[in-house]
Amino acid sequence: MSGRDLLRFCGGALRGHRLRSSLSLAGVAIGVASVVLLTALGEGARRYVTREFASLGSNLLIVVRGKTETTGVAGLVAGAPHDLTIEDAEALVRQVRSLRRLAPLAYGSATARAGERRRDVDVVGTTAEFAIVRRLEMRSGGYLPSRETDRNPRVCVIGPTVARELFGAENPLGRALRLGDDRFRIVGVLAPRGASLGMDLDDTVHVPVGRALKMFNQKSLFRLFVEARSHEEISGLRARVTSILRARHGGEEDFTVLTQDSVLATFGRILSLLTIALTAIAAISLTVAGIGIMNVMLVSVSERTREIGLLKAVGVSARQVVAVFLVESAILATAGGVAGVAGAWALTRIAAAAWPSFPLEPPLWAVLGAVSVALAVGLSFGALPARRAARLDPVAALQGGKRT
Amino acid sequence: MIELSGIGRDYEVGGRPVHALSAIDLVIPEGDYLSIMGPSGSGKSTLLHVLGCLDRPTSGSYRLDGREVANFSEDERTRLRRDGIGFVFQSYHLVPRLTAAGNVELPLIFAGVGRGERARRVRAALEAVGLSDRADHGAEQLSGGERQRVAIARAVVMGPKLLLADEPTGNLDTATGLEIVRLLERLNEGGLTLVVVTHDPAIGRRARHRIRLVDGRIAEEAAEAPGRAAGGSA
Repeated sequence: MSGRDLLRFCGGALRGHRLRSSLSLAGVAIGVASVVLLTALGEGARRYVTREFASLGSNLLIVVRGKTETTGVAGLVAGAPHDLTIEDAEALVRQVRSLRRLAPLAYGSATARAGERRRDVDVVGTTAEFAIVRRLEMRSGGYLPSRETDRNPRVCVIGPTVARELFGAENPLGRALRLGDDRFRIVGVLAPRGASLGMDLDDTVHVPVGRALKMFNQKSLFRLFVEARSHEEISGLRARVTSILRARHGGEEDFTVLTQDSVLATFGRILSLLTIALTAIAAISLTVAGIGIMNVMLVSVSERTREIGLLKAVGVSARQVVAVFLVESAILATAGGVAGVAGAWALTRIAAAAWPSFPLEPPLWAVLGAVSVALAVGLSFGALPARRAARLDPVAALQGGKRT
Repeated sequence: MIELSGIGRDYEVGGRPVHALSAIDLVIPEGDYLSIMGPSGSGKSTLLHVLGCLDRPTSGSYRLDGREVANFSEDERTRLRRDGIGFVFQSYHLVPRLTAAGNVELPLIFAGVGRGERARRVRAALEAVGLSDRADHGAEQLSGGERQRVAIARAVVMGPKLLLADEPTGNLDTATGLEIVRLLERLNEGGLTLVVVTHDPAIGRRARHRIRLVDGRIAEEAAEAPGRAAGGSA
């Protein structure tokens, strides 16, 4: 018999029990859609992080307190490390020739007040260089002054969220902002940027680094951003920074100098693992969908016992009976797969409209993989019912299953 | 030409052997019209299934046109059913989701007959059973008599030499049943070997060649010379 006739016959059989067919089809669709969506999510996260790091520029070193593996994401402290101080930063600026600029970063949170309104905000203590290193753009006004001209003036720059929440439609430039016990004059408002590297810059207040340390009663900086003159000088700069800081910390390397490449590689590994884990979870739902197909096909075989008996009586071979039931489950699986991909695609479009900054695009390998796994699942879970159908004794089948 | 000799068919039911057929010797010449009668459980249907290669005898010899088919493989028996044997059942066994034409087409599809040829043969078969105007009706929209005619059209669409009918009138009223029997007899007059299992003596009497089974054995056999008009006592 021709493939087309087989498809037509099987399609007719599936339409014969529409609800059951569409439910098991929906099971496959959900399985495939979850594979596609979850891999899109994992891939999206990886691309997002890659893009965010790229926005830092590739000439950057990041110095953090504490010692971890050089490729690790830093932060875990072993023992009691020395503080990473403003003086460390200034020593680096003085002594390292291949350093183009350096931005110290202190970090904490405080309640910002303007008139009657108050808001808990993240406070970034830094210098003018930070705006260049992080490529910050201003909506109005300017960024913090350089350290050389005025060491710690009581001025601040606020993010657009802070501006909106505390000042509404009014222009915040020149207005006063209280942070804790200090009073600051607002000299600039950042352009909207969104969350980046775990920090929502829109919801931050930037103050001179010395002010921030005083406010939080700290000596240690959160981290240092050190920019090289060129990408080629990165490793030389790294060695210099390391040796100077080690000397200043009494010979101990109780800090970590990260290059962007190493951070990126680490994130890439973590996020690839995440993608694999998500895919594995989604694969479970595909298996469940396969069991759904098997169940539907088993019900179908027992319901159509007489039909199978008749087919055998008119000379349909066991192989053809197997083909009929396999093709039926393959149709269910493929249609479910296509529906799942379409559904996932629609959802990613919606998500893309809702969160434009997150690159939610299912990778092609996941789409093709999910559909072919669905087909494989359909065929393998359809095999048992198909074999059962083919093995039916024709006389018993004609009588509806039992031999009298 | 069918020659059965010493055919037996045993089952196990609950661990106990049941002799559905024992020592059946029977010759069915080509073009014969045979009726198989007997009380229920006497083995009528089993004999029909053995004749139709749906069931395998446990002993004896079954020669079909000179070939020993009792030990044919499953594939060979399948081909034999497809090309040489038509079945008609008491409960019609139409596929409910298909139309009348779709049901008749079924054996042709699986035999790999091309589209155009299929349409032609389906039309001819439906015409032969007087159902041309019902071709596109769903199986479930048809009356019992119409369903049985569709089943007969399906049984002959592959052009078999042997037509086996298992209580073809069992679900029909007398008048409709008679129409069906007359249709089968017309096919027999066209050269088809016809075997009818029935418990209705009025139907069974019409056959030229009659056997009566009791407990799986042939209790009576009667044959008349071919060419004699079938009795019209019904």
